[in-house]
Amino acid sequence: MTAEDPLPTPAAPRTDGYPEPESIRTTREDHRIAWLAALAIAIHIAEAALPSPLPGIKPGLANVVTIAALVRFGWGTAAWISLLRVLMGSLLLGTFLSPTFMLSLSGALASVATLGLASRLPGAGFGPIGYSVLAAMAHMAGQFTVAYYVFIRHPALLHLVPILMTAAVIFGLVSGIIVLMMLQQMRSPQS
Amino acid sequence: MARIPLAPFDWRRTASRMAAVALTLALAGCGNQAGSVYQRQFFAFGTLVDITIYGAGTKLAQKASDQAEREFERMHRSWHAWHPSDLTRTNRLLATGQPFTAPASVLPLITLGKKLSDQSGGLFDPAIGRLLGLWGFESDQPPKGPPPDPKRIAALVARHPSMDDIHVEGSTVSCSNPAVQLDFGAYAKGYGVDRVIAGLRKLGIRNAIVNAGGDLRAIGRHGNRPWRIGIMRPRGPGVIASVKISGDQSVFTSGDYERYFMYKGKRYHHILDPRTGYPAWGTRSVTVIDRDGARADAAATALFVAGPKQWFATARRMGIHYVMLIDKHGIVHMNPAMAKRIHFETPTPPKVELSPPL
Amino acid sequence: MTRADLVAVILAVALLPVLYLHFWSGGGFAEQVRIQEGNQPPHYYSLARDQRIRVHGPLGDSVLEILHGRVRFVSSPCRNKICVHSGWLSRAGESTACLPNRVSVQIIGQDPRFDAINS
Repeated sequence: MTAEDPLPTPAAPRTDGYPEPESIRTTREDHRIAWLAALAIAIHIAEAALPSPLPGIKPGLANVVTIAALVRFGWGTAAWISLLRVLMGSLLLGTFLSPTFMLSLSGALASVATLGLASRLPGAGFGPIGYSVLAAMAHMAGQFTVAYYVFIRHPALLHLVPILMTAAVIFGLVSGIIVLMMLQQMRSPQS
Repeated sequence: MARIPLAPFDWRRTASRMAAVALTLALAGCGNQAGSVYQRQFFAFGTLVDITIYGAGTKLAQKASDQAEREFERMHRSWHAWHPSDLTRTNRLLATGQPFTAPASVLPLITLGKKLSDQSGGLFDPAIGRLLGLWGFESDQPPKGPPPDPKRIAALVARHPSMDDIHVEGSTVSCSNPAVQLDFGAYAKGYGVDRVIAGLRKLGIRNAIVNAGGDLRAIGRHGNRPWRIGIMRPRGPGVIASVKISGDQSVFTSGDYERYFMYKGKRYHHILDPRTGYPAWGTRSVTVIDRDGARADAAATALFVAGPKQWFATARRMGIHYVMLIDKHGIVHMNPAMAKRIHFETPTPPKVELSPPL
Repeated sequence: MTRADLVAVILAVALLPVLYLHFWSGGGFAEQVRIQEGNQPPHYYSLARDQRIRVHGPLGDSVLEILHGRVRFVSSPCRNKICVHSGWLSRAGESTACLPNRVSVQIIGQDPRFDAINS
């Protein structure tokens, strides 16, 4: 398999005087990002149907896709998946540019940035569990910061921080374990 | 690359353990002291008084607060420095030089005042009423500047009014210096708080805080934890430090922000240095912890006047064991015992200079 | 699980009790503010409702503002305006007052951070 699989160019030249359109070359990486993002979006939407005890507490299962992509394909892919998921998820759910979207986006940006830093650290580096916990906490912190400073600066909100971060650590660990098991399965398909 | 091997059934146990820990933490945070705390505020004694009583029934607590309010009103009337009172009458009689029988409400403060003034080396001296009056601090209208004529200040200081000029024999009092005028402001709150605490004790109350305009004495505890006292910062809003109190302790602070006026960018406050006749400028605030309110109050004043250079020696003389002085640069001076008790509540702790042990 | 993972998890879990201590240590939910004029019985106002409150004192009217769960003196007829300068109160147990106008303000809630304020 070659790295690049360009689409075929149009056969006949145009007769209407307009210039030839440039051919769009989609790469294997683009395809990969596309289907992973689609997977993440699907999980995100499914999760949106779940009731959450407090605003901002969702299991964040879509993160499983992001973290798995980070470990297998690198930070760039993971970052794209995460942002596409937030963007497309909000468009499909009808929450684009709403406060929910702002919160999701700030969470995603924070976790993507943190993963970027974490993946560049020298030494043995993190596995899925470490990345997942860090990403989950950064996500929660990013969301809360925007919620507090931009939307409601009510002191009672601060009371929620320990609970939210506890949930983030728990869900981060769970996601990380899921990714770990997934990757192990993928590496050795025989049980 | 160090890899820690995965044990197959670890995860469920770890997860449930963590859930238990998280839940416990969450519940621990929710707990509060729901015991019987009674709190009442009233304006008396020229200030806002706050009474907190723990562990007494509401009826007893109400009776106790009513008693406290009446007591404070009585003392305010008796010791008023410029409205006609037992004190103003005493001052008139002192000025004659003739011996007289001091009113019962005033005599204990004279004897205590003499003792504390002597212990403080004269830095605390209730006999400087005339000086306070000259600066405008003995009036219903707060003073607004300009400061008084330096010649008048110097003249008064030269006459050297002092508690030493007052002679007490039994309940007979006389004074050898007509410049003496008593103003109990520097320790009246302390003495008043002591009296009210004694009154509460007589009613059988064992756990209470009597807070007169920020200066307080606390007895007992808040249920199964000590009383938590916050100390205000001298500049700006908010609490700078906290301290835990149990047993029987007073926390008194003298500050340059309580009564003052600004004139041409300079702050003229009410804690005058008897030696110069001017406000003591090296200090922003002094906090003293001691058992008796009167002593703590007088000591806070004396140490304020002593300033960052002399406070240690003065505290030694007065037998005070917990001092926190904040000087005009915002530097905190403390003795080690006080540093152990003080917990700074600011995100960045201030600069601290520790003295030798007191 | 790598060593770095373990470090991350340990740090994350260790952070949690710190958060609980910091955000839950007293000064709990501030629910109401108690405003007292002189020695009259105090009035209680919910901190959940943004509002302005005018208190009539011997010197005139002091104006207090409840906004976003916090309260402060907006204006007061006293000279030194110490009350106004004391800023926002938000946690249970915090208090301020305008002595000349005899207005006292205190936040009531569970588990006040301080039992009394020394000043």
